[in-house]
Amino acid sequence: MRKGIWQEFDGYQDIVEEIKVSRKLGGTVSSAMVSAEEYIRQLHPDRLELCVSDIITETPSTKTLRLVSKDNYLPPFMAGQYIALYLEIAGIRTSRPYSISSQPNQVGYYDITVRRVENGLVSNYLLDVVKRGDTLISSGPAGNFYFNPLLHKKTMVCIAGGSGITPFMSMIREIIECALDRLVYLFYGNQTIDDVIFGAELNRISKRFDHIHYIPVIEEPSRKYEGACGFISRDVMREVLENIEDKSFFICGPQGLYDFCLPQIQEMGVPGRKIKQEMYGAPPNIWQYPGWPHEVHQDDVFTVNIKNGKQLTAKAGEPLLVALEKNGVVVPSLCRSGDCSMCRLKILSGKVFQPAGVPVRKSDKKYGYVHSCVSYPLENLEILIQ
Amino acid sequence: MNAFDVVVIGAGNGGLTAAAKLAQKGLNVLLLERHNVPGGCATSFCRGRFEFEVALHQLSGLGTAEKPGLLRMELEQLGVLQDLEFVEISDLYHVAASDGFRITLKTDRAETIAVLQDKFPHQKDAIQRYFDLMARYANDMISTFIFRDPEASRDKYPCLYKYALQNSKAILDEFFSDPLLKTILSLYSGYLGVPPTRLAFAYLAMLFFQYMEFKPYHLKGGSQALSNAILNKFLSDGGTARFNCGAKKIIVDKGQINAVVTDDDDEITTNYIVSNVSPVATYNHLIDPAQVPAATSVEIKGRNLSTSAFTLFIGFDCEPDQLDITETTNFLISTTDISDGIRDRMNRPDIQDDFMLLSCYDISDPEFSPPGTCQANVVTLKYGEPWLRIPPRRYHDVKFRCAESMLKRVEEIYPRVRDHIEEIEVATPLTHMRSLGHPFGAIYGYETLTKDSLFFQPGRYSPIQGLFFAGGWTGDQGFEPTLRSGISAAKSIIRRLGAE
Repeated sequence: MRKGIWQEFDGYQDIVEEIKVSRKLGGTVSSAMVSAEEYIRQLHPDRLELCVSDIITETPSTKTLRLVSKDNYLPPFMAGQYIALYLEIAGIRTSRPYSISSQPNQVGYYDITVRRVENGLVSNYLLDVVKRGDTLISSGPAGNFYFNPLLHKKTMVCIAGGSGITPFMSMIREIIECALDRLVYLFYGNQTIDDVIFGAELNRISKRFDHIHYIPVIEEPSRKYEGACGFISRDVMREVLENIEDKSFFICGPQGLYDFCLPQIQEMGVPGRKIKQEMYGAPPNIWQYPGWPHEVHQDDVFTVNIKNGKQLTAKAGEPLLVALEKNGVVVPSLCRSGDCSMCRLKILSGKVFQPAGVPVRKSDKKYGYVHSCVSYPLENLEILIQ
Repeated sequence: MNAFDVVVIGAGNGGLTAAAKLAQKGLNVLLLERHNVPGGCATSFCRGRFEFEVALHQLSGLGTAEKPGLLRMELEQLGVLQDLEFVEISDLYHVAASDGFRITLKTDRAETIAVLQDKFPHQKDAIQRYFDLMARYANDMISTFIFRDPEASRDKYPCLYKYALQNSKAILDEFFSDPLLKTILSLYSGYLGVPPTRLAFAYLAMLFFQYMEFKPYHLKGGSQALSNAILNKFLSDGGTARFNCGAKKIIVDKGQINAVVTDDDDEITTNYIVSNVSPVATYNHLIDPAQVPAATSVEIKGRNLSTSAFTLFIGFDCEPDQLDITETTNFLISTTDISDGIRDRMNRPDIQDDFMLLSCYDISDPEFSPPGTCQANVVTLKYGEPWLRIPPRRYHDVKFRCAESMLKRVEEIYPRVRDHIEEIEVATPLTHMRSLGHPFGAIYGYETLTKDSLFFQPGRYSPIQGLFFAGGWTGDQGFEPTLRSGISAAKSIIRRLGAE
């Protein structure tokens, strides 16, 4: 090629002039020097520094932590989204996602509502140790469990179990506060009447507003109880809902709720696309899952070698992410339910169990990447954390 | 060990190929990436049972084993070709207008000419002459720039000399009078991010030529498969990658690269850096301003940022035929205005008469989405700057309002889509700004104006010794150019090291 041949092309000189002018006046790059990063931080901050401004006892086992921002700014969120708290408890650095239970129009604080989990490292810490004035570090709001106006119908059938009420609380409070044009049927399942969170507020709201229907469903009711009993079955739903047309179904709660209710909803004839399911952490008792190899016991212990890093032991019945955290290895995490891909790492050798349906990219599977929050060691492992 | 032969900052297309090439040559290479997955734009994300492709529409430069394109040759030399599975796409694109007009341009040149002549009989001769011109232009270009004819001259390559730097609209106006025909033939300008009024004919002609000669391809597993394959090769060649860890600072001493400080405050000694970060951020945020030559600052500030994009990722609970989607690549149009009015539309957040591209990969690759489902990636080009004027608290409302207007346009062409949506995700220019870190969410880097093309700008080179660039900011945009840009940067470094 002849060097600089393009200098002979028609129009070359015009462009040389153009470049001179643009260097003199500046192109759009010059205005972008004032960084857009600050704007992005207002929407999606990496970390929030929050202060516990109030602690509200909701039930004997549940409290709401009211969190205000240390720099007086809280990013907007969609009702139903969560924040992940980043904590160090007894020397273990870990994280937990909590749905925001306050509504988005409340710009002064985020509420998170925490129920005690038996032997739960984080819930017991938040309920027993954290006190007013303490600082908590969190992610920005995240998650895909929200009313999507492109997809969802105005009539929302919300099915909650236990502490799965929290995202719905945010949605319902927003609907009331912002006078949104929606119709809500909330089926809320709990073991006993004492476990119901936000019961008084939900009763009050449903009495006052025609478009909010609240149907508590109690598994083990006291003798005096007159409401719906048992599980949230299709019969319970059919009694309230005239039909399933033009409705979107939302469901949030423990695995047992999904195992029971999802088939019930499907049996009513609701197509999968109309059902939105929230994540709810790693499944408990993973060893009872379909596909778990019977020769591996939940308490079996395996060696995990981190390439260019330390060696540790991990229990089969415990997510790899948790074993890493217990040994002082911090892997970035957010949803801790297999969905967000933050805790992705590579298995170089050895086998892990991953429950069906965890969304891992096709090519990630090919190259041995797993979401460590829902991966359970079945053999000795060598892993790569990059 | 805190010294590397080369540090590559950013694991986008250009960063990945640069790192892999350097490691293949036995160099000790560190690859830094602030995200937890490799790929930059070349990535995917999961929602429900869908894995959505983010960026790749039609991969160019592959060709076949018998008649390989440049990209195939380079991927083969890199040793990743056998890890990838490609599917040839039979169409250039389908055009669907809101008034019911439909046309499909095939990759076969004669077929496409015939289809166009059938729909536009009054422009029959002009169509033939225009495609002849594109072919002649491409031949001139290849003789001079690929085969490097030392005796190139105006007499020998008249098309090249006359047309290369002219804007595409001027040429279309020269050949055609029918506005719809001109619109149809200009639609690939969207792949380069500038309207035909500002796009050098060199680009439009070469894009057509590339796709007709070497065919467009779909990649099984999407672009993440490519990113993962290149990273895997890099690792198996002994490369070190650190994810969730970007570069905080580049230390320059006496005009020479000296070290990199990572986000973890790790100082790494090196004499060579491939920056897959924008030159804007490299020179303004990573390098001490005192070390940046004044001419470089002036050069950068004189340039324009490319458009960003507004995208819907839709997962459907049915096969494409139930939605009447029959082609992989579909341009949806509701106007034949290809003047600078396109730019005005791109500068408005709202979607009205914008050109839109709907890609349904399941047509070419029925295994792409789960059985009984399909997905569509619907994109239109939008500048990022107007989005910064939206108050953060209004952002979600604006995002969904724009998405709704986009969906309505899709419904005009494919009326049944709304009843089958299972998942839908919206990416705005701010989403791109956040995930790519590019100022104004510029998906293509610098604007592809003629003045910003490789003829006139520094490309991968820097006046700072040891610093090279790779990726969309260095020259041409799209998968093939960015992948190849990394190889070029790596080769430059290998040459320098060989000379030392």
